[in-house]
Amino acid sequence: MNINKSNPLLLHPLNKWMKKKKWSWFPHQIETFRHVCSGSDVVVFAPTGAGKTLTGFINPIDDLIKLKKFKGLHTLYISPLKSLANDIVRNLEKPIKELNLNISFQVRTGDTTPYKKQKQKQKPPNILITTPESLALLNSYENAKEFFHNLKYIIIDEIHTFLDNKRADLLSLNIERLQTFSPNLQRIGLSATLKNKQDAKKWLCRKKPKIVSFENSVLPKIKILESKERIPWSGHMATYSINEIYKEIMKSKLTIIFVNTRAQAEYMFKNLWLINNKKLKIAVHHGSLEKNLRLKVENNLSKGLVDCVVATSSLELGLDYGDVEKIIQVGAPKGINRLLQRVGRSNHNLNTPSKAILVPTNRFEFIEAKAAIEEIKKNNLDKIDLKEGSFDVVAQHIFATACEGQFNINNLYSEIIKAYPYKKLKLNDFKQLINLIQDGGYVLKNYDQFKRIFQLRENKNIYKLVNKREIRKYRMNVGTIIENPMLKIKLGTKTLGNIEEVFIQNLSQGDSFIFAGQVLEFQSMKNNLVQVKRSKSLISKIPSYSGGRMPLSTNLANSVRALLAKSNMWDLYPEQITEWLKRQKNISKIPKKDEYLVEQFPRKKNFYTVIYTFAGWHANQTLGFLLLRGFKEFNYKPLGFVANDYAIVLWSLKEVKEIKTILNLGLLDKHLDNYLEETSIVKRLFRDNAIISCLIERRLPGMEKTGKQVLFSSDLIFTVLKKNEPDHILLKSSYEDAKKNMIDYDRLREILNKIDKKIILKKLTSISPLAVPIILEINRENLSKKETDEYILEDLENEILKEANVLSIN
Amino acid sequence: MYYQLINFGNEEFHAYPNKSLYWKRLNTLIVSDLHIGKSISYAKNKQFLPPYDTKEILNKIFVSLDMIKPSNLIIVGDLLHDVFSTLSLKDQDHKNLSQYMKNTDFIWIKGNHDKNIQIEGFKNFTNYKIDKFLFTHIPIETSLFQICGHYHPKVKISHRGKTIFKTSFVHNEKIFILPSFGILTGGLDINSKEISDVLGKKNLNIYPIGQDKVYKLLLK
Repeated sequence: MNINKSNPLLLHPLNKWMKKKKWSWFPHQIETFRHVCSGSDVVVFAPTGAGKTLTGFINPIDDLIKLKKFKGLHTLYISPLKSLANDIVRNLEKPIKELNLNISFQVRTGDTTPYKKQKQKQKPPNILITTPESLALLNSYENAKEFFHNLKYIIIDEIHTFLDNKRADLLSLNIERLQTFSPNLQRIGLSATLKNKQDAKKWLCRKKPKIVSFENSVLPKIKILESKERIPWSGHMATYSINEIYKEIMKSKLTIIFVNTRAQAEYMFKNLWLINNKKLKIAVHHGSLEKNLRLKVENNLSKGLVDCVVATSSLELGLDYGDVEKIIQVGAPKGINRLLQRVGRSNHNLNTPSKAILVPTNRFEFIEAKAAIEEIKKNNLDKIDLKEGSFDVVAQHIFATACEGQFNINNLYSEIIKAYPYKKLKLNDFKQLINLIQDGGYVLKNYDQFKRIFQLRENKNIYKLVNKREIRKYRMNVGTIIENPMLKIKLGTKTLGNIEEVFIQNLSQGDSFIFAGQVLEFQSMKNNLVQVKRSKSLISKIPSYSGGRMPLSTNLANSVRALLAKSNMWDLYPEQITEWLKRQKNISKIPKKDEYLVEQFPRKKNFYTVIYTFAGWHANQTLGFLLLRGFKEFNYKPLGFVANDYAIVLWSLKEVKEIKTILNLGLLDKHLDNYLEETSIVKRLFRDNAIISCLIERRLPGMEKTGKQVLFSSDLIFTVLKKNEPDHILLKSSYEDAKKNMIDYDRLREILNKIDKKIILKKLTSISPLAVPIILEINRENLSKKETDEYILEDLENEILKEANVLSIN
Repeated sequence: MYYQLINFGNEEFHAYPNKSLYWKRLNTLIVSDLHIGKSISYAKNKQFLPPYDTKEILNKIFVSLDMIKPSNLIIVGDLLHDVFSTLSLKDQDHKNLSQYMKNTDFIWIKGNHDKNIQIEGFKNFTNYKIDKFLFTHIPIETSLFQICGHYHPKVKISHRGKTIFKTSFVHNEKIFILPSFGILTGGLDINSKEISDVLGKKNLNIYPIGQDKVYKLLLK
């Protein structure tokens, strides 16, 4: 690389070290340094391997050396993962120790001992590496202002992972707090390459905002597994190709197989072991495994002691595993960014391409895989939508603020609306959130005697925490990540990991299931511990995890539609795929890029309607439910529906004649409220809202239920609140969350808004080739939980009555 | 309202989906574990549950009294959640209660939650005997048939690959346990050690409560 003589970094304290390593400065590092020196907040976009971490530290290290023996905290580094934070410390250690620089640095996460944390508070290091949750806690300490008043830089690593979730809201509020404590603070964001770079800039930067971008010209080499086997119509387990996957593992030194769900990980791992006649070292890694098991796998991976690791998104971010030669993605890529992130885990060298193989598990996924490869060639990335800030996170932040000391609500409000996600927060909503923290914020104010924060008599704008005992409660409840209730799995005295309570409830003693790659037999459950033993059973269940579904990105969905329509490409596909598409074209139609194909046909005694929306599972699930209601209204006697990422199928007793009249925007406006009422989506989100806003206390893992009864459930609170105070701020917040996250409201609205003019209706005499995959996904009717419960009770009672030979009751 | 007929101790009882039990021969309504004022007692620990439970529980009781017009109302314990709960009873609530007391005899059996609390106009007992039946919050050593509360029983039903929990009435040959009549009260699995120690694990009659019907299951 040609380095300009005027490169200011040649005078940088780290230059000597760079020279020794025979490394040179990247242009984006020089550019970042210049911008930050001239007082700008900067977001840097660069791929892995381009010295991103170092880029963040260039200015802080330079400044610390110039200031000589700076006392106190100078730079804060925020990482999305604890494990990544530790890795950063190791990377920072090398140059600072080798050059003997007088700079202190430490890590502070949930894993740091209380003793160390105490020492850090008394004598802060120059550089502190931490997570958003630990930052929120630091800001809630009484001496937070002194602790941070000299802070010069905050570096946000992997900022792209923070833009579209509640963690981003929490982080944005805490960055504004730091800015209040230390007005000169400068912000540096580090991000993977992103489509909407301007949005990331808006989110982070305040002072003379700047973007620095470095694009890698070496494209990854991605291909689809060339399988001699038949690609199945539907399914997600890739059983058909297991032997070919095994051969690919043998060909490379070290392979990571990425799958989309924990269940797929367990299944893939088990199937690989069944055919592992070469005794390859294969391991499994997912978020539910015990920390020590995970660390062991990560360690073996970085030392090259394994041949292959089957992993979920748990291995997507973070550590450099330099020796990984190949990535195999099993199942649909779901999004361009996600696929690139995964592919980038192999071969961290900028000048040689990463290698990856995609294994579609069914025919639609083949098209999706093909589309993803095309988009990567064009560098057409997914857009990350910035989210509007959630109310519950503000409530938690108000509580934290009160823990730090008494506060003026007007000052707090003007600070909060500086944070990008909360630009539009209304004063009235903010006041309701103050009330929520004060005493639950109910209209019926009968908690006057029991407040958490109270107004000072002499100044009604100033609020104060009622007593210091509350601080402990805040600390127990900090953060925005709410796990489903999990139980620990014990094999003998060894903990294997956590499993969802719901899954265990469905097991009886003696049932076997797969976890951590082993077949286990359920023995008993005591004190929230699940006791298991090894089992030799061949039939076993695989735990499903409710959080497992990843939505298909709009960008990739559009690309799939475009690719389907390009019939001149078909001959390049495997014969079975070509055949499938050609038959579809003859029998029905292949929809054009902007058309919505609707097929109707009789099958058995029912009438089927299939709508190809390519809208992703969330939106399709919602649409299916709304159509069910619409069909009922027209008396078509609908029986049920099934949705996947690409399409919806509904079946009814009568022929659906007025599909164009039903399928439009009116459907959404008319039935959405009903949908939200009848599913448990809002109820579940209310639980998250109640916990994040500290209305009810978090059930921490390992914390046992005290007393004889469960204290109360958020479901009961939800029901009482909805009946008595439907306008409560937390209900409003839960409904907003549902619209944003679970039902893909905006995406659905956009599709329905113009759909009537783009519907291509095909009346067929029987099922079409394109419809086969989704018809195969039909297993039973979708009923709401209320109905299912009642159905189970009635059915069971009837069976028992039959057995007992009793005719009827009542 | 539909009810489920239950035979216990050679007497007929009606189990209602609103979690009350009616003894027709003696025109007596039985409820348990109302935990009035649970929300306010949590509020003192700064957990602010919606403060509507007391109002809803009283309404539920009053609706039952209007419909059945019983001579007696027996509360088998834990009418109140704790000493703070009395704060949630407003003047109007006291007035309504004394109005109903004119036609119905209120028999308040003390539970572990409310044993040291008094409410004006309420008679209270540690337990109460009618014929061969003993009404008590927690079962004791006796040869009588006992009707009690305390445990908030719920049953786990696994059927056709689905698992659900349902609040239930449950009894064996000698002991009958009512579900909690409260609004913000949770439940305890009938299989738990606490309930098994009282009822045993076999020969249980279980009555899960559905939307507007009480079901009947037998556990042999």
